[in-house]
Amino acid sequence: MTLHPIRLTVNGKSEEASVPAAMTLLEFLRERLYLTGAKEGCGAGECGACTVLLDGLPVTACLVLAVEGDGREVRTVEGEAKATGLSVLQRAFIEEGAIQCGFCTPGMIMSARGLLDRNPNPTDAEIVEAIAGNLCRCTGYEAIVAAIRRAAKEERDRR
Amino acid sequence: MLGEFEYARAKTVRGGCALLAEAGGKATILAGGTDLLVNIRAGKASPRLLVDLKGVKSLDRLTVSPKTGASIGASVPLNTIVENRGIRTRYPGLAEAAWTVGSYQIRNRATIAGNLCNASPAADTAPPLLVLDAILEVASPRGEREVPVRSLFVDSKKTSLSFDEVVTAIRIPPVPATTRTAFLKKQRVKGHDLAILNVAGRYDPATGDLQIAIGSCAKTPVLVPPLGEPVPPDAPIPELARRLEALAIQVVHPISDLRATAEYRRALLPVFIRRLLEALLQQSDHREAIR
Repeated sequence: MTLHPIRLTVNGKSEEASVPAAMTLLEFLRERLYLTGAKEGCGAGECGACTVLLDGLPVTACLVLAVEGDGREVRTVEGEAKATGLSVLQRAFIEEGAIQCGFCTPGMIMSARGLLDRNPNPTDAEIVEAIAGNLCRCTGYEAIVAAIRRAAKEERDRR
Repeated sequence: MLGEFEYARAKTVRGGCALLAEAGGKATILAGGTDLLVNIRAGKASPRLLVDLKGVKSLDRLTVSPKTGASIGASVPLNTIVENRGIRTRYPGLAEAAWTVGSYQIRNRATIAGNLCNASPAADTAPPLLVLDAILEVASPRGEREVPVRSLFVDSKKTSLSFDEVVTAIRIPPVPATTRTAFLKKQRVKGHDLAILNVAGRYDPATGDLQIAIGSCAKTPVLVPPLGEPVPPDAPIPELARRLEALAIQVVHPISDLRATAEYRRALLPVFIRRLLEALLQQSDHREAIR
């Protein structure tokens, strides 16, 4: 099996590795970099638990090969918190009770991050559309939509 | 790990074709990977080599002009098409169809060329491209050729392309500014789902030219035979729908699968033809997906 050298930026840090062709970006993040925030739910791009930002855009990391990440910038939920503590978005999830079992949360946060980066003032319909690819079996979504709405407002107020 | 395969990133279309030719049918083009990698994981596909063409700059372009029409490079992700102002203005039925594929995350990877070449009977971008007379630009070690989308689909999951051919772009001919396009899709849930039935149409009230196409109702997406006469904008829709349904049933053969029964699809057909005509002639909004 051929190993492919890759160089990519993950949460602002430059990473170099050699990966087999069949390794997914999700496996690379979890098993090589020990960034276990992104989860494997379905492994088929249906559930969104593995959502990360690839060059700023949400993608399902289970359907991206690690070798395709070469030269790209990846952001995971681990990059969301800063040294000063949780991000506004993460705190909003806690404050709105948008977390129950937590399995979908890293993917939800990254879909929300991608949305707020491209649209700081989303409508509820735009929030629903942005997280339509993220399944949550606990919360019923209302609290998640409320959390993203709240984070959007707080992030705007801080600007 | 998804399986056992090798990976090669082509820098040019010619290089990509050479890799495909050399592998003699055991290589597959890796576009967005949103179907291919799922199929590999499920054991439904076992290519020896994945040829990634996303590094080829020329496949990344999307241009729309009133004079020359649209050209969508094979690597352009669906979200770029959905968000493109020119596509939304000139070919709204195509933008709508692209928007209903998968979720936002999937559409950041999935490509229109992949949606077509996967040749699913339910491919959402196929019906609008059929009614728009879209043409695939195809390269191979033997040179370049054009393949109309109308002659692309041979069977379920089978195209007329050879294993060493690469789609480089999808070209959509220019349409008069008066042309309307629409796309409607029936799915089980309002989030992301494959189509139980999808329909697209093109109508020009200035000329009365009307064309409709249906997906998920035969082994391939199908064009409905033309009415053979111009359709005025005030044509009575119930009668027009009945005539189009009679033409449609000549080309559809719905089956039962995990999404719906053949009977349900057959029952949906007249409903969706009527809604499509209302969208095209009266510009009613019948779109079902969340927005």
